[in-house]
Amino acid sequence: MDDAGTSHGARVRRGRALVAVIAGMGIVASATEGAPVQNATELHDRAMRVMETHCFSCHGPGKQKGDVRFDALESIDPVDLQKLFEASREALRLGEMPPEEAESQPNREERELLMQWLEGLVSGEAAAALAEKLKRFEYGNVVDHGELFSGKHGELPGYTADRRWLVSEFIFNERVNRLVDYHPTRSVYGKQVAVRGDSGVHWSPKTEQGNKFRRSITNPFLLPKKVGVRYSANEALTSGHLLTMIGNARRIAGYMASDATIKKHYPAMHTLMEAEFRHREILASRERFLTTPFYMERLLRDIFGEGNEALLPVIKRVDLPYPQPAMRNGQVRIETNLGLLDRLDKIDLTAVFEGLHEYHKEGVEYERIIEQCERDWGREGVVESRILNRVGMLKAFKVNWDIQGIIGKASDKRYARPDYVPLDEAEMRVIEATIRKYRKGGDSYQAVIDKCMGEWEATLKAEREAMPAPDKSLLDGLVGQLYERIFERQPTEEEVRKNSAVLLGFMEKLERQAAIAKLIETLILSTEFVYRDEFGLGEADELGRRMMLPRDASYALAYALTDSSPDAELAMAVAEGRLNCRADYEREVRRMLARRDVWTIIDESVQAANLNASVTNQPIRKLRFFREFFGYPKAMEVFKDDVRFGAGTHEAAVSRLVDEADLLVEHILERDRNVFEALLTTEEFYVYHNGDNVAMEAAAANYRENFEYFSKFDWRAFKPGDLAPHVSFMLSRGLKELREYRPGSEKKTLDILVRFMKTAEHQFGAGQKNPVPFMFVGYGYWAGGPVLGRTGQQMRGEAVTSYWNIDWRTWDYPTNQPAKIPNRKGILTHPAWLIAHAQNLETDPIHRGKWIREKLLAGTIPDVPITVDAVIPPDHGRTMRQRMEERTGAESCWRCHQKMDPLGFPFEGYDDFGRYRVEESLEHPDNLIRKAPAPYGPISELTFGAMLPVYKTLPVDPRGVLDSSGDARLDGEVRDSFDLIERLARSEKARQSIIRHAFRFFMGRNEGLADSKTLMDADRAYVVSQGSFDEVIVSLLTSDAFIYRRSNRRE
Amino acid sequence: MKFNRREFLKTTALGTAGLALSPSFSHLLAAPAGAAGTSGAGGFPHRFIFIRKSNGNLPEQFGLPSFSSEERKKHVEKEAFDVDLEKHELPEWLRCLERHKERMTILHGISMCVSGGGHYSYSGCLGAYKAGRDILSNIKWATVDFELARLFPSPFGHVEMSLAVPHGREFRSGIVSGYSAPGAQQRNYCYADPMTAYNELFKSVTDQDAVETDNSLLDYLRDEESARLKQLDGDERLKIDNQVRGLEAIRERNGKVAALGDTIKMHLPRLAPIHENGGVDATLLEKQEAFTDVIVAALASGLTNVVTYTIDDLGTDIATLPENEAKTSIHAIGHAADAGALAMRAAMQAHHMRQIETMVTRLEAIREGEGTMFDNTTIIYLPETGAGHHSPDTEAPMVVMSGRNSRVDLAGRYIRLPFHGTEGHKTLSNWYTTLLNAYGNPIKHYGDLDLTMQRNRLEQTGAIGRFMV
Repeated sequence: MDDAGTSHGARVRRGRALVAVIAGMGIVASATEGAPVQNATELHDRAMRVMETHCFSCHGPGKQKGDVRFDALESIDPVDLQKLFEASREALRLGEMPPEEAESQPNREERELLMQWLEGLVSGEAAAALAEKLKRFEYGNVVDHGELFSGKHGELPGYTADRRWLVSEFIFNERVNRLVDYHPTRSVYGKQVAVRGDSGVHWSPKTEQGNKFRRSITNPFLLPKKVGVRYSANEALTSGHLLTMIGNARRIAGYMASDATIKKHYPAMHTLMEAEFRHREILASRERFLTTPFYMERLLRDIFGEGNEALLPVIKRVDLPYPQPAMRNGQVRIETNLGLLDRLDKIDLTAVFEGLHEYHKEGVEYERIIEQCERDWGREGVVESRILNRVGMLKAFKVNWDIQGIIGKASDKRYARPDYVPLDEAEMRVIEATIRKYRKGGDSYQAVIDKCMGEWEATLKAEREAMPAPDKSLLDGLVGQLYERIFERQPTEEEVRKNSAVLLGFMEKLERQAAIAKLIETLILSTEFVYRDEFGLGEADELGRRMMLPRDASYALAYALTDSSPDAELAMAVAEGRLNCRADYEREVRRMLARRDVWTIIDESVQAANLNASVTNQPIRKLRFFREFFGYPKAMEVFKDDVRFGAGTHEAAVSRLVDEADLLVEHILERDRNVFEALLTTEEFYVYHNGDNVAMEAAAANYRENFEYFSKFDWRAFKPGDLAPHVSFMLSRGLKELREYRPGSEKKTLDILVRFMKTAEHQFGAGQKNPVPFMFVGYGYWAGGPVLGRTGQQMRGEAVTSYWNIDWRTWDYPTNQPAKIPNRKGILTHPAWLIAHAQNLETDPIHRGKWIREKLLAGTIPDVPITVDAVIPPDHGRTMRQRMEERTGAESCWRCHQKMDPLGFPFEGYDDFGRYRVEESLEHPDNLIRKAPAPYGPISELTFGAMLPVYKTLPVDPRGVLDSSGDARLDGEVRDSFDLIERLARSEKARQSIIRHAFRFFMGRNEGLADSKTLMDADRAYVVSQGSFDEVIVSLLTSDAFIYRRSNRRE
Repeated sequence: MKFNRREFLKTTALGTAGLALSPSFSHLLAAPAGAAGTSGAGGFPHRFIFIRKSNGNLPEQFGLPSFSSEERKKHVEKEAFDVDLEKHELPEWLRCLERHKERMTILHGISMCVSGGGHYSYSGCLGAYKAGRDILSNIKWATVDFELARLFPSPFGHVEMSLAVPHGREFRSGIVSGYSAPGAQQRNYCYADPMTAYNELFKSVTDQDAVETDNSLLDYLRDEESARLKQLDGDERLKIDNQVRGLEAIRERNGKVAALGDTIKMHLPRLAPIHENGGVDATLLEKQEAFTDVIVAALASGLTNVVTYTIDDLGTDIATLPENEAKTSIHAIGHAADAGALAMRAAMQAHHMRQIETMVTRLEAIREGEGTMFDNTTIIYLPETGAGHHSPDTEAPMVVMSGRNSRVDLAGRYIRLPFHGTEGHKTLSNWYTTLLNAYGNPIKHYGDLDLTMQRNRLEQTGAIGRFMV
């Protein structure tokens, strides 16, 4: 098998960037005689000149003796390059090269220079940097694929080193949600269910079911945005994480140490806070009493008797005229919609209602009511701006509002003067004494209250400070409760001792509640909170491997499939000693894979963009693997132009596209048969569908029924009053918007009906037999729409059909989906994947090809050399392929581009929005044939529902070449993307390549030769099970690589 | 990647993003490689105040009443031209800045299509990218205010304040999520009420106990994590070691802020008691004035050199302005085009301008070298959503106040740049690239590219050459 992509040896590869990077790393001179060259770039350049003189004649562009070529180091894979450098160093050291018979021999100085250069590359910082680089997922393929699956390395012992694995953004979200008691829910298929994966984002504009406090916790552990496996165990905490966590820790601690949380969760903390709580309650009780409307008035009168009047503040009336009446069409317009009162300031509105309730009596002039209210508010000490606002309200109510209605509202008993209920005698004595002490003439009630509260706060604080230190057992209990909550374990004795001491230290400076919050901050800032530990325990085998600690194993298994801590069964297995062997692991993995009672948000971005559902009840990490592997969610990030989309807002439509790609992957995973092949070759897709065939069918039928019903009437001539005979139909079988008809809403309902009928006429008039159940009426959060998404919101983004070359208004809609869509085969022809692998304005054959080379052919593509200006020059007279062939066809470019371009060209059958095409539009003003039609113009002028201009075109050439598939029967020229995809789906290597990526995803690291058995076992499990991905997961999570750990501790 | 304490300090801008002292991010504030330097004229840092306002800025409001008929025609038809403000009258709502016309710019013609957004652009209007629905993963890179803060390091690095009331409920208080972004996929925090800002910013002189407790916390954590380092090697050591070094660095910088105590005391503002406990009774103007006090004091005491201030958003409660006859909905004004709505829009903007006038005057009163602190300050008043309530984003008129030592040459003028999608047009990305280049970040192009410009094959990268000094 000719595997140019992965085999060892110094075959020609690209990689100038690598050399440039190495050169730029400041390799310093080694201990050679003479004057070592200090500058890395200079050293590299001089070494290359020596090579050119003495080596290139045999290992250069003309000849490549021994398959070695030195003139194109940049085109060699990092690992191969390292081996070449090592071999060269040895050859040079032993004097084997250049051979004696060579015409040109380097002198001593030149040899030393070469030696210095090679030493630096093999053992210097460059080598270390390379080693670090090779840990990254994007370099995973440098391990030879043939070797990995050859069976020659099956005896090597598999294991993973003991490690701390930084939490992912998703795990962090779940940890925070647990600490702040954030338990989000969604309506899924009509049932309210708890969901995971919610970080408090506002996902519904109407319901605002986000959580503002939760949103103030910033997630510092976001995974890199890239196509491919993203979550690596190699990441370490950085300063950025720490500084973000400092802010987060304060907020979380503030919540955890709040009165309500303490009472709910932390009995020891509650006892410790007893005095503080009691004092706070005393203060609150007194303040409540004093600020109850009209109480101060009564209390002061009781205390000061006839002298009270003289002590009251002098009230200055507000100088505010009545507003002018609001006019409409020459008539005074009175606002009768009292619901609009909610827009007013709640505090002021309540005070106004209380005033109206108190003073509005038969025969009392309105102005007199205002005067009495102003007097009360002035005595209370209400700030001037609020009095102004309240008087303004009262006057506006009188002139522009339904004043009787308002008075009616204010007559509610909740605005009535409350009965005067004094506190107990002792409390009243304290209150009276303090008021007598502090009240001065002219003080408002609030001024008196403020002085009293100040005194009481100081007194009670002094009382607390005089109390003895808290009991040790209480502190210890508190530490235990916090460990259980934050780390989900009990603290050791040492931890209890240390943390209790720290808490006592904090209490010397702070009140107890603040001190406890500070201790919580300390624990949250501990590295334990943000790392997941995976350490071996017990007796090591002869190879030094140990099974994971059962507790660590439970987290490793839970986090392999979900983002949450171990579920109850898993935790129980640990507690009962039933997580100690491979069979135990398998039992738990199979159990978790079978669970369908946990709903998780797949992607908050997709969800928030357009009210999409984006939830799954499969183990989220299973679906996430394929999202990352294919990278189709990136479609939402590619900045596209609405004008070129032509069917409305691309941003809204593309989110539905991604949502439906998820739905498809979920569907294939649920069937769990020939998963890889199905993903690559399915001809059935979801397009404007919620995944529920019954609901979609019912919605489409309801839509048709409504159209047929009203078609029988002259609905164009309807007046609002004409709806009466149809009310019964509307309320029983009408579309959802029509079912919302209420007496009085005839005009609005008629408007909706007319809009619906016009839309439906387009649809049925164009020969559509089954309609897409969508119409332009309102938005989802006001009117549900003819069909609801999984989460009960309107299904929006109907323009999604445009990506599939379909106009939703003329499409004969298949209610049962996934359904066959013409000109599509598998995820690689799904518009989401095609957009994700496209540029802003053009397709991207290079990255489409690169994806196939790396993800399905286990190949490698060196980094883009920094000397290369990676731009395809514009030329509006030629196709993208023609332009590319000219640019990348040059020999120096083609060495790498031959690995990508021939694999990417077949997808030129789709444009950068994923729309199928046989002709490529040459989008340039010079090539314009016809301007884009006007919005919502005649269907006949639209291109699959999109308002697109017509340009000159050239035929698309979708031919390509498949090489290195590992199967000579599959390699060769391909006709188009379908041909390529079918061959890939039959390729063993493609299957194994997916398995390799799954290994990285579930292990958090790259594979090595010692993982050969694990990989071959997983591959076999897939084949034997007829393509079950669940079996791949079981195999991986019960492999040696997963269950065995080896210590890397210093002895 | 391993980092040592010195690198940590560098990457956190010599600042004291200390536990006790900052709710803001500072970790990405290091000057980028190749930056010209971190001090402005005379060795003094340059300061920036970004004032974000909602509902867009209507282009018509930015025309000058004294335009000649030809100038007015150009203004209306959106043709490029400049005039000298000294020779013109300002519109009524801008008139309080009359005294500062020499340092003022009415900047017209910059487009915001790169950030877009409809009702809100979230971090987009300062990041020159589309932020979508404020999802973390939509934040593409550090916003321009954070990038500038990197160039002029300070203890707090960057400070954000906000009178935004998302979705129109009550005014917020405390520390809440902000709109600026310290880096890709990172959302900043902000102070939602003046008293919280005061308490947090000036804590080193107003609450010693809190500072000491925080320092104890850092010391304890450092000791605990150091103990974990024993027996660790290689990557596993690095995973803990970074944390230890980070804790040490923050602790060290807390000490540096403590040393600023006298300067802070000198500029410490006095906030009225009405702002206690979130300032429920404070009027909008009282809140605006108090925020202005805090902003000026934070700059004057050297705690920060960059402030971002959301002076309103669509939900902000406009009920207590002198012009209020009833509560005003900013959102409703955005949808209305009647004279009353326009007058109210102008009235709100006039209040914003009064705050800017106060900032300029106060900063002018502080001596700095041979001049004043305002000489080294730039204030940018920009709309969150272009030229209207939900755009169009093809225009985004701004008011810029720039001190004498500004490195951007535009003061004293009304400037209208070529319209969107035409030759010579400048986008928000170009504008921010200009600021960054002028103050030492050599980035070739900051921000997203404009697709209309791209589609029309028009040059759109880099700084606005004519503004570069």
